[in-house]
Amino acid sequence: MNTQPSEVERQERVRTVRYAAVVVLTGALLCCGPRHSTQEQPATVPPATAYEAHVVAGDTPPPSGSLRNPHHGDSAVARSGALLFTAMNCDGCHSGDGSGWVGPNLGDGRWRYGGADAEVFSSIYYGRPRGMPAFGAVLGSEGVWTLVTYLRSLTAPPDLPTESWQN
Amino acid sequence: MRAAFIAVLIELAAAVGCGSGAQAAGQAARAEDGQWTMPAKDYAGTRYSALAEITAQNARSLHPVWTFSTGVLGGHEGQPLVVGDTMYVVTPWPNVLYAFDLTHEGYPLRWKYRPEVSANAIGASCCDTVNRGAFYAEGKIIYNLLDGHTVAVDARTGREVWKTQIADVGNGETTTMAPLVVRDRIIVGAAGGEFGIYGWIKGLELSSGRILWTARNIGPDVDMVVRADTFRPPYDHGTDLGAQSWANESWRTGGAPVWGWVSYDPQLDLIYYGTGNAGPYNAEQRSGDNKWSASLLARRPQDGALVWAYQFTPHDSWDYDATGAMVLADLTIAGQAVKALVHFDKNGFAYTLDRASGRVLVAKPFTTVNWAQSVDLSNGRPVINPAKQTGASRGNIKDICPSLEGGVSPASPPAYSPRTHLFYSATNNFCMDYEVRPARRLKGTPFMGVTSPYSAGSGGYLGSFMAWDAASGTKVWENKEPFPNWSGALVTAGDVVFYGTLDGWFKSADARTGHVLSKFKVGSGVVGNPITYRSPDGRQYVAVYAGFGGDWALIAGDARSDDPSDIRAPADPVKDIGRHTSQGGIVWIFGL
Repeated sequence: MNTQPSEVERQERVRTVRYAAVVVLTGALLCCGPRHSTQEQPATVPPATAYEAHVVAGDTPPPSGSLRNPHHGDSAVARSGALLFTAMNCDGCHSGDGSGWVGPNLGDGRWRYGGADAEVFSSIYYGRPRGMPAFGAVLGSEGVWTLVTYLRSLTAPPDLPTESWQN
Repeated sequence: MRAAFIAVLIELAAAVGCGSGAQAAGQAARAEDGQWTMPAKDYAGTRYSALAEITAQNARSLHPVWTFSTGVLGGHEGQPLVVGDTMYVVTPWPNVLYAFDLTHEGYPLRWKYRPEVSANAIGASCCDTVNRGAFYAEGKIIYNLLDGHTVAVDARTGREVWKTQIADVGNGETTTMAPLVVRDRIIVGAAGGEFGIYGWIKGLELSSGRILWTARNIGPDVDMVVRADTFRPPYDHGTDLGAQSWANESWRTGGAPVWGWVSYDPQLDLIYYGTGNAGPYNAEQRSGDNKWSASLLARRPQDGALVWAYQFTPHDSWDYDATGAMVLADLTIAGQAVKALVHFDKNGFAYTLDRASGRVLVAKPFTTVNWAQSVDLSNGRPVINPAKQTGASRGNIKDICPSLEGGVSPASPPAYSPRTHLFYSATNNFCMDYEVRPARRLKGTPFMGVTSPYSAGSGGYLGSFMAWDAASGTKVWENKEPFPNWSGALVTAGDVVFYGTLDGWFKSADARTGHVLSKFKVGSGVVGNPITYRSPDGRQYVAVYAGFGGDWALIAGDARSDDPSDIRAPADPVKDIGRHTSQGGIVWIFGL
């Protein structure tokens, strides 16, 4: 239940921009294969997040952790995330623009496992049932946050619920 | 009742040939028994039935007599089996097996088998959670579960006899293909051409499920079960062709999956199957021919030894899988009797080969083709149009025909009638732009790197159903369809051909003219393959699955309605398909 950013998180934020540049410009992440950063500590990821709007028994929600995206709304990081989305083969399942293929549409503003930053983080970091791989070990928290920032920058069309064939 | 059923099974065992093997199976194929015990009706893969109660004269009165919701929404490829007085149906993931009692009104279930199948396999499936069907042999229903297992289920009791892991989902291998059983060998393979697998085919022991041999489709001779004394390719010489034709050992992640169909010639004792695309899509990462991806392989079923191989699309730069069916037929070509093999390839050419030697006799385009001008019969190689060669350094190559969906989907097997001497096949009329980038393999994720938007081919239609003369390489008739055609074909001795459409019509047509005799809207788009059989009541029926799906890029995600958190726009250029169909698996039976 670490509601305050940890020391490791604060350090990560400082490293952010440089990290994204490394990933995107040199592809270092991709050339080194699965990576277990020595700086990566389990404490940077909460033990649990309230990833879905579950029905709450007894009107008492269970305690849950939270994470803050250090790049929330940062369009430069979002652009880096778009490149990372392709480089990590995300497009192979979710399509090049995230509009969905075998994997669901990520740009429709709707989410199976929640669309808040921390919820999307959990989906990528730990994977999900039905075949979403866990990317936490190869991307690290910073790489996942970069992807989250990109995905959260996608906007859904306003008429999304309705598909009409009438003129 | 049970005694009577066992008697039927014993009779059936005698007909299909428990133990006496190929010879008896060949006899069973010649004498029409009214059953449908293997995916394509017979080892030759003809999807031809000698039943003739339904004819071109009376097919007009075909109507549905029974339907059953499978409760599953994935694309319903494949086909039911009818063995004795039971119909068997395998669903897409989670691969439920239903056994219907055809002796009782309403065809109630005798049993259903619900295996545990990992949901992780859903994400490792490139193109929907399909299953291409089961095989009946020696009292067992044999089929593949999506998560890399083959199972044998007792055809009478529904109890699991054995279950064998054959593939690794974590490595991108899924198992959608229809097995083939020859004597005591079960032939199985795995999909994964979009995940950088090291493609293979395996022989399992029918009684135990034990893996007896594994043969890679690419790589060094020792992995491919290539031996100097048995390997006789029609156009190639040398050793380790499956490794030498890949720069930098790129065969290790080169794909060449097996996700379609297997045929068998009892006289030559050869199994025939096609391999899928080479990976990744950026062909510049794998210079060379990339043998034997996008190829036809002939092996001995007993030990898997490769006898010959022919590559339809060398250095595949367009995702032209060759996993479509290989249909064996004895044809007369230029006055000569030929033991032929006919194959409609994703690359848009229809091939007629000598199935003993592997030499190409006829190769003609059956749809719009511009990646190659022709196939050179002197060396079997396509004459490639250099302007359509793709690669990461070449940028966006525009207007390549056919698209990577194929001139026909390999999921849509053709039929052959020995009465009309014609082949019947669905086709697609798509072209594409193709832009690839360097891809890096990250195990468990796609190994592709392509953007490939589709456009309609010329002529104002997106698909068709056609009759093809494989002796001359000419189209005899063609029914154009507004949408791509993703259905398999069935033809009967009543000279009626059956097929479904993506917008959900099930049609019968005159096999000689293509004239549509009947059609019925079956509730969901058809991507399955019709079968016909004689029921315990002595009458001929036709069965087919409805159940739109099988390829997310093509079929438009807006045709799914089961997930409120996943809303898709219509897919170009089939924008209207969602107006005509939605997902949902239904088994249909039609009768007179």
